[in-house]
Amino acid sequence: MSPTSLNRKALLSGITLIAAFLFTPNAPPAAAQEVGSVVGTVVDEASGRRLADAQVLVTGTGIGGLTNAAGFFRLGAVPVGSAEISVSLIGYQRTTQTVTVAPAGVSVEFRMSQTAISLGEIVVTGVGQATERRALGTTVDVISAAEIDQAPVQNVAQLLQGRVAGATVNATSSQPGTGSLINFRGVSSVVGAQTPVIYIDGVRVDNDQSTAAGTGGEQSSALADLMASDIERIEITKGGAASTLYGSDAATGVIQIFTKRGTPGAPKVTARIERAYEVPELKYMFDVGLTFPDLVAAGEAPATLLADQYWRNGQAQTYYVGVNGGTAAVTYRLSGRINQTDGTQPKNGSVQYNLSGGMQATISDRLRVEFSGAYTRSSFDRLFNGTAIADPITTFEVGDALFFSGESTLQGALEMFLRPDITEEVNRFLVSGGGHFNWNDDVETRFTVGVDARTNHQRVLQPIGFTPGEPTGSLTRFNREFTSVSLNLATTWRTRLNDGLSSALTFGAQGFRDDESVFNANGTGFALPGSEDFGSAAEVSAGEGNSELFNGGVFVDEQLAVQDKLFIGGGVRIDAGSSFGDEIAYQAYPKGTLSYVISEESFMPGGDILNELKLRGAYGRTGKFPGPFLRDRTFSAIPFRGESAPSFANPGNDELKPEVTSTIEYGFDAALLDNRIGVGFTYFDAVTSDALFLVPEQPSTGLGNQLRNVGEIANTGIEVALSATVLNIEDYVWSLSGTFNTVTNEVTDMGSAADFNIEAQKRVSEGKPVGTWWMTHPVDTNGDGLADGSETQFVTKEDGSYASPQPDQFGAFSTQLTLWNRLSLSALADWATGAYVFDYGSVWATFNAIYRREEIEGVTFPDRYDTSGTGIGKYSQSAARRAFLYEGDWLKLREVSARYELPESLVGDRAERASIYASVRNLAIWSSTAMVDPELSGVTGGGLELGGESSITASPNRAFRFGLEFVF
Amino acid sequence: MNQTRKRPFLPLAIAVLVGFQGCDFLDPTNVQNPLTTTDDLANAEEPTAALLPGLRAQFARAISAVVSTTENVSDNYSIHGTGINKDFDNPRAVTSQVANGTGTGGGGAYWNIQELRALADFVLEIATGDATATQSQIAEARYYRGVALVMLAENFSAAPVELDGAALSGRELLTLAVTELQGATGSGSLAHATLARAYRLLGDAANAVSSANSALALGDGFYNLQEYDAATLTNTPHAFLVTRALQEMQPLPRLDFLDPKFLSRAAGIAYAKGEEMYLIKAEAAFAGGDFVAGRAELARGLRLALSRGTTSFIDNDQRLNADLSIRPRDAAIKVRADDESPIRSGLVLNRNGSEVAVPELSSTSLDPDSVAAIPVGDTDALWHALHLARQEILFLEGRRMSDLGIRLPMMQREIDANPNINPGGPGTEPVVPGYIPAGETMDFFTPASPYGPDGTLLTDVVTVNVDMNKVLVANGVSPFLN
Repeated sequence: MSPTSLNRKALLSGITLIAAFLFTPNAPPAAAQEVGSVVGTVVDEASGRRLADAQVLVTGTGIGGLTNAAGFFRLGAVPVGSAEISVSLIGYQRTTQTVTVAPAGVSVEFRMSQTAISLGEIVVTGVGQATERRALGTTVDVISAAEIDQAPVQNVAQLLQGRVAGATVNATSSQPGTGSLINFRGVSSVVGAQTPVIYIDGVRVDNDQSTAAGTGGEQSSALADLMASDIERIEITKGGAASTLYGSDAATGVIQIFTKRGTPGAPKVTARIERAYEVPELKYMFDVGLTFPDLVAAGEAPATLLADQYWRNGQAQTYYVGVNGGTAAVTYRLSGRINQTDGTQPKNGSVQYNLSGGMQATISDRLRVEFSGAYTRSSFDRLFNGTAIADPITTFEVGDALFFSGESTLQGALEMFLRPDITEEVNRFLVSGGGHFNWNDDVETRFTVGVDARTNHQRVLQPIGFTPGEPTGSLTRFNREFTSVSLNLATTWRTRLNDGLSSALTFGAQGFRDDESVFNANGTGFALPGSEDFGSAAEVSAGEGNSELFNGGVFVDEQLAVQDKLFIGGGVRIDAGSSFGDEIAYQAYPKGTLSYVISEESFMPGGDILNELKLRGAYGRTGKFPGPFLRDRTFSAIPFRGESAPSFANPGNDELKPEVTSTIEYGFDAALLDNRIGVGFTYFDAVTSDALFLVPEQPSTGLGNQLRNVGEIANTGIEVALSATVLNIEDYVWSLSGTFNTVTNEVTDMGSAADFNIEAQKRVSEGKPVGTWWMTHPVDTNGDGLADGSETQFVTKEDGSYASPQPDQFGAFSTQLTLWNRLSLSALADWATGAYVFDYGSVWATFNAIYRREEIEGVTFPDRYDTSGTGIGKYSQSAARRAFLYEGDWLKLREVSARYELPESLVGDRAERASIYASVRNLAIWSSTAMVDPELSGVTGGGLELGGESSITASPNRAFRFGLEFVF
Repeated sequence: MNQTRKRPFLPLAIAVLVGFQGCDFLDPTNVQNPLTTTDDLANAEEPTAALLPGLRAQFARAISAVVSTTENVSDNYSIHGTGINKDFDNPRAVTSQVANGTGTGGGGAYWNIQELRALADFVLEIATGDATATQSQIAEARYYRGVALVMLAENFSAAPVELDGAALSGRELLTLAVTELQGATGSGSLAHATLARAYRLLGDAANAVSSANSALALGDGFYNLQEYDAATLTNTPHAFLVTRALQEMQPLPRLDFLDPKFLSRAAGIAYAKGEEMYLIKAEAAFAGGDFVAGRAELARGLRLALSRGTTSFIDNDQRLNADLSIRPRDAAIKVRADDESPIRSGLVLNRNGSEVAVPELSSTSLDPDSVAAIPVGDTDALWHALHLARQEILFLEGRRMSDLGIRLPMMQREIDANPNINPGGPGTEPVVPGYIPAGETMDFFTPASPYGPDGTLLTDVVTVNVDMNKVLVANGVSPFLN
């Protein structure tokens, strides 16, 4: 072991200095004040409709609440005297009124005007301070509490599907504990995972896609236990200037999740009971009628054996209870949730327990502190999926069930493949604490310290007699412990320089440290059935892996506002990290932004056609740090015949530094036709320079690959977001929205690196997209028009462009209909085109002389000829891989939901409000291939995952959900 | 704000927190690499002794990789499954892109031999500054460097042996190898045996015979096995022969009785044994025209091979042909080496789940007495017997491809990364003599499967398309002749 510490201690000294300054006590205690209440209603100005879920806040106090279905709100414990009340609601312009609060209370009505682009919405991600959207030169996507509460999703990744312009979110499978591949604005690295960084209440959380041993083409993911409940708001930046202040960690974008901390008032209890029926998606399953026709014809098995005896409808239930409330000084929220699912395959059950809380306290008129914490315990069972040997689905779907099970009947084979037990338990603690300190009216400091600690324990038991695996039995354990500690500190100094010109200067420090420890062990050879511990195994082997990483930096950001219409921003983050090479001191990430609300200029025509128009542009750099210790020259050893046998490990690179993505983006946001139409348009051009490639050393040196900053990758594209209010009258509101996105990805420079493969058939080559399909094609070598040879070639599309697993166009559309202010109906569909997907299941089926695509789609598998023109049968799968690659366009009706707010007359005094809801998730799929679900990503390990390589894997279930919610 | 209250706290807080920075506990930038770094190695008390086990393990990898690769390229085995690239069945298709692996499965021969050589270079360099390094440790490192150079020359037509190095020819590699091995002869028969192999490849009959005699003088039944570790570094060919579900490597039917030879994950692969010495002596004698002496040495080699005995193995072979039919697996099946050769029984074993006797070290279908009775004037028959003996006795030990005259190209990574290696230059293309038949013909036999769709045996004779030993005789192939 070699301890290494950053020689840039100055960075930490700076952080320490600021922290010391911050924590110095200096605020007098708060004095008791007389209070009154503010009650009122919020209505839509155009239709007179009462507006539910509007957020009402007493400015500067933290006191606030939401309107109920009748548009009514009541804020208690407001200090008497003059108070500014602001009301905000997605889709409406924020409005404020000043009222005089008396001890007996005051009543007020707010009339809100619709807006199509929400320029007044406050966001905090990207500029280090709370900022109105009008001032942003970049896009920041926001998912509001109202959207989150209504979405029929179980985790954060599902929530992002279809809701974020420029994002692709592809599920891995239907099995519990698996995650999704998330990508913003194209693939910007050929070595690192593309999952955006995720912060929850300022704490950087584990987002690893591969946290346990693989079970076929599936991995346990840390995203699976980020639950989508008690979330106040999610803000998403997709790289570029909006993410610059996150420095070397932000090239793939940043997702900030803010949890609820309660609102002042009497305790409110929310109780939710949900029941779900999950139906397997069998569109891409063909059952044994296809693969064992002889046995079916002989009456030895039904053609629908799997449908009859394997797949099943599963039930799921969710119980949630939460309480929130507080005073003007202290608010709190505490909740508990239990999820239980049966799964749609045997041994696919899961249980999740979640306890979470949040609070904030106003210690003085200068200091407000916040705290949130959550504990999640997940337990789940899984089966091997996506592997051709030990997998109950694949072996039946490709015709290997008898061969690999060694059984003589399909029934016996099915029992054999269900024998392994794969279980996993995940315990996750997330704690965040911090606060806001106002030095005076102009200067505010914010700080957060937090920890995400996740442990998972996986056991894979193959019992004695499991012939597809280790016939004498085996037990594999995989334990992973991950801890991330985050620190954020920022101070903002707002000042009005002169009439019409104001400045907001933010500076601060931000950093994190990750510690990961993996222990895995394998025992084989059990003498007696029932043995489930290593002590009983004939042979035991174990291994471990540990990594530690620090990355942090200081930043400064200046926002100048001219007449509150023109906003000019600039900033820089200076980073240091433990993964940088010794020759690399710091990495600088500058940015500049411009926003111009041109519609407010007098020279612009007013009227109802163009209501608002904001032009924006930005330049920003972001980074992606290399993995831990890849800068060091190292030696590793294995145990070999009783000795520790060292060999060369990492070659070492003193000049290792982060990949740097420079993004230019520009576009506009416009509200049209009396604020009924909203349009957002963004063009981005992102170039990742110093891209990290695993550059092979010369084999004659005996050294392997070294990560070097030699490449360049370009991503360009557009993001279009459209929203329209079709109907807005008192009892009826109907809106439509959609996104359309394009990404063109290309490796523009490979430096000294030769072409190389990512996984077996995806290649990195200059001038082509990352992971362009590269596979064997039947070819005619002698010009007789008959295919007689085989060549490995890049796959091109009909238009001549290169085919990769990444879509080049994707988007979503949704609609929402609200009737009588009580019944809300919504639907969401998402789609992607341009990706090509590989069908491994059909490859394996050829070993059994089954040509699945011929049977299903009628596409003939290529015949091979010798050079004399004589047919010699079909090509082998290895010589004609191109025949298993299909266009992977898809459209999924992702969500359809209905929610009905029960009338007060029905609820009576028993509850403040009550609602019932129903939803269907993954209702329907349309795809260009009938062979595989093109969405499924097939995650095989850590690092860059491009997906698109489907084996036989179950699609996400179709889930019918019914729920009842009460607020007491 | 009370200035007078605040001031005393600030310097104190700074002093305390800055002071804590020196402590790892509060310094988040302090990270510890769990692997040995260069700095750590410099602190090793006995670095040469510590690194030698690594050389032993790397030698084990190199042999695994050579056997997994070259036995398939040769006529010994063909590939049926997904574990090894099917291109290895066609010597002319084994380009630098195909032979570009780093693992010990098919295709990693170049990588693993070079890593062995480079690690040996490194150990010898460390040893120069290591006062604790002993002569025997240095001799062992020199042996591994020498044997790596021999393996390079045996399997590749040219290769560099240092950073930015130009490709050295096989002869240059062998010359370097001889120097290293001569420095390692104190370690017993091993270095002498490898020297004999090096001199044979150089065509130096006198020194080859002398080294072979030196090796045999230390015990004519000697053999050296590179054994494996069932838990961490296994015998890779064993996986392709036995444990993997598809059992991707299928022997030519006439060699079936020798398969699978490695019966466990830890089974050793022979890298030097007395039989090879006798065969080298026989070959040198034949090349020198002394067929009487050569015939006697050949018979000695055969007798030694047959004295090694067999081990029982329960085989329920599921291996399939390329056309997905079942491999010949009944003792009733007889084999002809080509369509002009006699039909021979006893070469294919019953593999229906019953026990079969297979050799773990050496065996042969040749009868020593019959060979000893071949008239010395029938030189073709004697040469044929020698080639067949080498094929059978050294089966699954990585000799056959080289004996056929085939040399692999260096891996593409070397061509890409080394500025002094250019595409088309020495060592960058496969070297396949013109007498090697096209495509995968060496692996073909007729019928491809002797079984009908229902598994019944349709014919009890399979005929190998080409008897490569006959081809070698016809083309006068021997390092001592060429």
